[in-house]
Amino acid sequence: MTLLAPWALWFIAVAGGVVALYLLKIKRRTATVPVLDFWLALAGQTKVHSLFNRLKRLLSMLLWLMIVGCLILALGNPILSLGKIKPRAIAVVIDNSASMQAVEGTEEERETRLAQTKRALNEISKSRPVTDEWLVIEAGSEPRVVQAWTFDTKLVRKAGEAIKPFNGAGKLSASVELAGQLVAGKPDPCILVISDGAAGEVERLAAKDARVLQWPVGTTTDNVGIGHLAVRAHRQNGNYLALISVVNATDEKVEVPVALEVDGKSQSVEMVSVEPRSAGEKTVVIDAPNGGVLRASIDRKDALTLDNEAFAVLQPITPAVVWLVTDRESAFFFEQALGSMDPLVWAEESLTLTPGQYGAAVAALAKQVSAGSAGAGATGGALGEGPDGASHAIKKPDLVIFNGWVPPELPRVGRFVFVNAVPEEFAIAEAGALVMPQMHMAPRAHALTQHITLQGAGLAKAHKVTLKGPARVLAQSGEGSPLIFLVEQPERQALCVAFDVLESELPFRNAFPLLLRNAVSYMHEEAPSWLRAGYALGETVKPLRVVPAGVKEVDLAVQRDGKREDVKAPVVSGSFAFADTGRAGALRLVVGDEASFAAMNIGNADESRIGPVARAEDPHETLGLSKRWLGGMPWTLLACVAAIGVVFEWLTYHLRWTE
Amino acid sequence: MRRASDTAIQSERSPAPRARGGSLFDAQFLQKLETLNLIARQMVRGRRAAMRQSIKKGSSIEFKDFREYSPGDDPRTVDWLAYARLGELYVKLFRQEEELDLWVLLDRSGSMDFGEPNKFDQARRIAAALAYIGMSNMDSASVIPFDSQLHPGVEKMRGKGGVLRLLKWLDELPIGGETDFEKTAQMFMGRVRRPGIVVVVSDFYGLQKARAGLDRLRFMKHQMHVVQMVSPWERNPPLRGELKLVDSETGMQQNLTITDSMLKKYKVAFEGFAAELKKYSMGYSIGFDQADTDVEFDAFVRRVLQHGRLLA
Repeated sequence: MTLLAPWALWFIAVAGGVVALYLLKIKRRTATVPVLDFWLALAGQTKVHSLFNRLKRLLSMLLWLMIVGCLILALGNPILSLGKIKPRAIAVVIDNSASMQAVEGTEEERETRLAQTKRALNEISKSRPVTDEWLVIEAGSEPRVVQAWTFDTKLVRKAGEAIKPFNGAGKLSASVELAGQLVAGKPDPCILVISDGAAGEVERLAAKDARVLQWPVGTTTDNVGIGHLAVRAHRQNGNYLALISVVNATDEKVEVPVALEVDGKSQSVEMVSVEPRSAGEKTVVIDAPNGGVLRASIDRKDALTLDNEAFAVLQPITPAVVWLVTDRESAFFFEQALGSMDPLVWAEESLTLTPGQYGAAVAALAKQVSAGSAGAGATGGALGEGPDGASHAIKKPDLVIFNGWVPPELPRVGRFVFVNAVPEEFAIAEAGALVMPQMHMAPRAHALTQHITLQGAGLAKAHKVTLKGPARVLAQSGEGSPLIFLVEQPERQALCVAFDVLESELPFRNAFPLLLRNAVSYMHEEAPSWLRAGYALGETVKPLRVVPAGVKEVDLAVQRDGKREDVKAPVVSGSFAFADTGRAGALRLVVGDEASFAAMNIGNADESRIGPVARAEDPHETLGLSKRWLGGMPWTLLACVAAIGVVFEWLTYHLRWTE
Repeated sequence: MRRASDTAIQSERSPAPRARGGSLFDAQFLQKLETLNLIARQMVRGRRAAMRQSIKKGSSIEFKDFREYSPGDDPRTVDWLAYARLGELYVKLFRQEEELDLWVLLDRSGSMDFGEPNKFDQARRIAAALAYIGMSNMDSASVIPFDSQLHPGVEKMRGKGGVLRLLKWLDELPIGGETDFEKTAQMFMGRVRRPGIVVVVSDFYGLQKARAGLDRLRFMKHQMHVVQMVSPWERNPPLRGELKLVDSETGMQQNLTITDSMLKKYKVAFEGFAAELKKYSMGYSIGFDQADTDVEFDAFVRRVLQHGRLLA
């Protein structure tokens, strides 16, 4: 037998007191009576069992010793371990992630897995000897020690009760790693992970570290949730493609309707069919010209409701501003090609420049930037002197097409298309060296060559190109000289066409306009965002760039639970932090006059896979918890014995009339 | 069983002895006495002569008998008419008219200093009331305290004039000692030979000796009356648990565990004791009254007078 509360043994002194009282005899109160005669006569009636008279006081003492002994043992909270329970250092890792909010039990008694976890912690801490040392770690958004090493199990239970649910994906692995570091050097260490298994992660952790022991929680598999929602803008079509991934944790195949809303307006309802214990995906076209917040939801009453909705942000699709730098004679063909690219090209803001005007436009743009009115983005506008001499706002080009000419100094940043000219920075080109070459397409597909084929196209002549650095060759001559190639650098992209388009068959083919379209679509860089497209719940939102010095605070609008909350975040040292990301929703950030959008979701499809994992061993036995006796701990029995002893002693008291 | 030493006993009297601060008899007490006296006077009227008749021959005017003359007889008692007729000397005998005395024997032993109200206080009031009635309506009244022996008392008081002296004496009367009524009765017999009314006011603990004493007094042709003093504490003692009981008279001690069951037996025994005393008294035509200390003394005395036994 092991005492969970051995401090109760200090009360053995009480037993000593009982013996002392009986040895010294009971301190009697003195009472004066008129005469003793009556009392002596009555006392005489009881003096019939002299042996009993001698024994009854001893019997009373023994009874009281038994009562005190039972009470001391009951206070000590004994367990029957048969010597198997040894003191241990137990680091408890509590999984409070989204899946732990799954509801278990019947209609009458429903509780979350986290509530079961807290009960389990209570049971475990009460069933282990007090010589154990405990540590509690919460595996939420970040591993957090909620109770440092202690022998006080009350503090352990209190810390467990104080843990709140976390709606995102828990950091179990990091928590176990932290626990492993903290239990190092402790006697008989154990890392107890109270979790629903986290889709097998705990098993993997236990396999790697023998100190890890799982205390499984939860049995239900009734959950169908949105594991992933991603959106990509389809620039050429001016719409979006949404990828919906639905996780089915049940043992049956389900066909679940997923409702899609954009800014609260119903968009469509898509049926997604998912096999048991797997995920199903579906791509959906979303038509929302001005962008917005996409909400996908499943109306299904299952154990976990957190994953029944997900958010994604539809970034507004902006057309590209294209500068065409060419001589007047060659401009028509390119202008026609670009003009047919609506909405891909912003015709009103695009310019056709001669090489001579290009320098003036760049200077005017630089003047605007230095004035700071345009900021760092391309959306700003200011008056500048245009190439035609008129004063109007010009916008920074998203793409510059140089036809037959390369500026003396190529900008260090930008997207460029060179036709019939090759910058020396990228390659050495021998003008007209190739006569009547035939074009051969590269076997590997590329976004730039999507939907087109130039195979066998005849050219009058072409530059013979020798590449200086890495480049992606999209088409080449029969001799292997690159005819169309793409150079991609961190700040620059350049598509080079090493021949004169007008001296080829290309104007008679649709392929070249398509190639240009692909180039505009591929090389158009969106205005840089301040935020990532998505954040996991619990993750702190920070800007991707340094906030300008003049901005003291930024405006954040959080849309979730059908409501909008406006928050102002102070800017400190060019950055800000927004940590209230515990619930799913969409986030809108305004810095100056720039707006950025992000979605907040659970961020891990494993949280939807709430099915229990296989359990190899009984944690009760592994952890050495005491066996229950007669449906309860032995202290209840001991307390009952003590109560019976009190009653018996009280009855015998009435037999002890005199000495 | 052992006898406690004087210093060893830290006696916890239950209840505490009565404080002797104020006077026992106040103006109100005197008023009650006078009221009781009026009641007694009405009851005594018409009976007084009978009460005073004596079997002895004496010098009253009531003729009783003749006898032959003996030398030394008073010549004034010679019936000269009988001598003329018969030629022999006869003297006339007349009925003796005796005095009627009331004797109140007051128990002042330690056991009387008990109860709330105190038994001894109540006994003194009752003794004062009876003595006052006796002084007013009889020839004399006496109050004699006793424990294991007779102590000097206030004797042969006549008329109301001595009442203040009686009350003062009662107020200052000490208490204590063991009771031995048999011995006390023996002493009383030696001092008082002429029969009278004897009222014994006591708790009558030690019933065997008390009965022996009463027998002796009865033998002396006294008209007997006993007043048993009882306090509520004695009827229902508030004792429970492990106790060391101390005898208020002897100081003897007894360790005892008193339970509810034992208390019930005590009550039966106490009531049996009172019943036995009453049965004895009735068996020998001795007046018996039980005086509870929680009953006002005048109510008790009035009840005694109304029964008529005391003055009959």
